[in-house]
Amino acid sequence: MSNDEVGTGVTLSETEADERLLDRLAGFSSEQTWLAVAGFAGFLAVWYVAALFQPTYLLPSPVEVLAAFVVELTAPASLSIPFTGAELPATRLLVKLVQSLYHYVPGLLIGTSLGVFAGVAMGWNTRVDSVFTPVSRLLRPIPPLAWIGFAVIWLGVNHQGATFIVAIGSFWINFYSAYGGVEGVSEDLKEVAATLGVDDDWTMIRKVVIPAASPSIMTGIRTSIGQCWMIVVAAELIVGVGVGYEILNTAQNLAMDVSVAYMLVISIVFLVSDGLFRRVERRVLEWRA
Amino acid sequence: MSGDANAGAGTTSAATDSDDTAKVSVDSLGKTYASDRRTVEALSDVEFAVEDGEFVCIVGPSGCGKTTLFRIIAGLEDATSGAVTLDGSPVTGPGTDRGMVFQEYGLFPWRTVRENVAFGLEEQGVEGPARSERVTEMLELVGLDGFADAYPKELSGGMKQRVGIARALAVDPELLLMDEPFGAVDAQTRDMLHGELLDIWTETDKTVLFVTHDVEEAVTLADRVVVMAANPGRVREIVSVDIDRPRERTESEFAAYVERIRGLIGE
Repeated sequence: MSNDEVGTGVTLSETEADERLLDRLAGFSSEQTWLAVAGFAGFLAVWYVAALFQPTYLLPSPVEVLAAFVVELTAPASLSIPFTGAELPATRLLVKLVQSLYHYVPGLLIGTSLGVFAGVAMGWNTRVDSVFTPVSRLLRPIPPLAWIGFAVIWLGVNHQGATFIVAIGSFWINFYSAYGGVEGVSEDLKEVAATLGVDDDWTMIRKVVIPAASPSIMTGIRTSIGQCWMIVVAAELIVGVGVGYEILNTAQNLAMDVSVAYMLVISIVFLVSDGLFRRVERRVLEWRA
Repeated sequence: MSGDANAGAGTTSAATDSDDTAKVSVDSLGKTYASDRRTVEALSDVEFAVEDGEFVCIVGPSGCGKTTLFRIIAGLEDATSGAVTLDGSPVTGPGTDRGMVFQEYGLFPWRTVRENVAFGLEEQGVEGPARSERVTEMLELVGLDGFADAYPKELSGGMKQRVGIARALAVDPELLLMDEPFGAVDAQTRDMLHGELLDIWTETDKTVLFVTHDVEEAVTLADRVVVMAANPGRVREIVSVDIDRPRERTESEFAAYVERIRGLIGE
C-alpha cells in the first residue's frame, strides 16, 4: 500500500545525505582546506621568525621543538610494568606517556562511571535528587586540583593520587550531563513504554531513559576525555611523574624545546583520543536526526 | 464473576448488567483537578460502553476532556470517581491489554522500525523466531515490510504512525486506543491511513476507541460516535453512523451526519 509516499520519504533523505556529503567534500577540498593550511603555516612562520631573535631558553623555534620531539621519541628508556617488576625497552617519550595514561585511563573510567551513575540516579529519582542536590551544589564549584592535598595525604605522591584528581574532574562533567539528559527524557516515551508492558524502574532506565539520554551522556564523556588531559597535566606537576611533570621539569632546566615537545604530546594525544571517540559517538548515535 | 466486588453493596442495576457483555465500559466517570485556588471539573459522569469488535470515535471541542478520558482508559491517569472496566476487570494502570497510538507517534528514535515493533514483545518475553515472525507479520499488515531496518528519522509522518499502529497491535491487545493519531499528517496521507486503518480493523477484529476533534474523520471511521461537550467534559450524545463502508464524504447521508454532530458540539 501507498508505495508513492514510502518511496518519496526515502529518496528525499538519501538525496539529502548525498548532498550534505558532497557539500562537505567540496568545502573541504577547496576554500576551507586552504584557509586552514594557510592559518597553520602563518602560525609556524610567525613563531619561527620570532624565535630567530630569541635564545632557545626563552623561545625555542618550531625546528628545535621538532628536533627535541624526535630525540624524546627515539631515546631509549625502560618502561617498568607495575605490579610485575618487569622492565620493557621503550623510549623516553613513551615512558612519560604511559605514566600519564596510568592516571588518565583509570581516573577517566572511574570518574565517568560514577558520574554517569550518580547523574542517572539523581535525574531519575526525585527523592535521591532532593537528598543529594545541596551536597552536589556545595562540592561542584571546587576545582579538582584543590583536592590535591587530600590526594597526597590519603593516597600518597603516586599514581593513585593523580588518578583521584582526574576521577573528580570527570565525575562532575559526567554527573551533570547525565543528570540533564535524564531529566530531559520525554514523559511521552516513558508512557509509551509503560503501555507496552514496562512496569519496573530498572527496565525503564535500561530500555528508555539511558538510550534517550545517551546523546547528552556521550557529550559528557567526550568533554571529560578532553578536560581530563588538562587535569592530568596539572595533577602531575605535583605528583612528579608523566608528561605533565616533564613539561615543568624540563622548563625548570631551561630546556624549553623539550618542554614544548611534551606540550605537543598532550595536543596529539588529545586530538587522537577525541577523534576516536567522535567516531564511536557517530556510530552509537547514528539514529539521531 | 463480576459479582464479588459489588455483592456487598448489592448494586445489580441495569447498567452493570449491560457492562458484562461490553468490551469496554465507562461508568459514571469523573475527574477533578484541584489546585490551591480552585478546582476544575474535567470530566463529569461520563458513561458509555464499547462492544467487542466495535469502532467507536470520541469527538468534542477542545477542553471537553477527551484526552483526559483517553488517558484514564489507558491507565495513565486515575479517575476521581467512577471506573473503567475492560472485559469486566477494572483498569488500574497502563497495560498491554490496551494498545496505544499517540498523535506524536511516540516512537523510540534509537530503535529501528523492527525494534520499535518488537518492544512490547520483548517485555512479554516473546523470544527468537516467534518474535521476529510476529514483527514481520505486523510490518506486512501496515505495509512497511521494506523498512524494517530504517530509523524513525528516515520516515515520513504517515509511515511513523504505521509503525506506531504495528507496535500497538504486536502485543495483540484487547483494545486499540488512538489519540488523534492522524492529527500531525497531511490531509492526503490521512485519507489513505483511514482506509488502511479500516482494513486493519476488519482483518484483526480489534475493538477500536479513537479520539479526534475532526468530525468528518469520526463519521468516516466509526460505528458509533461519542459526542462530548465541554465545561465540564461530559457525553452529550452517542450517534450511531449507519452508512455502509467505504463511506464517501460527498454522499448526502455523510454530510447529514457531519452536520448533526457539529450541531451537537455547537460548532
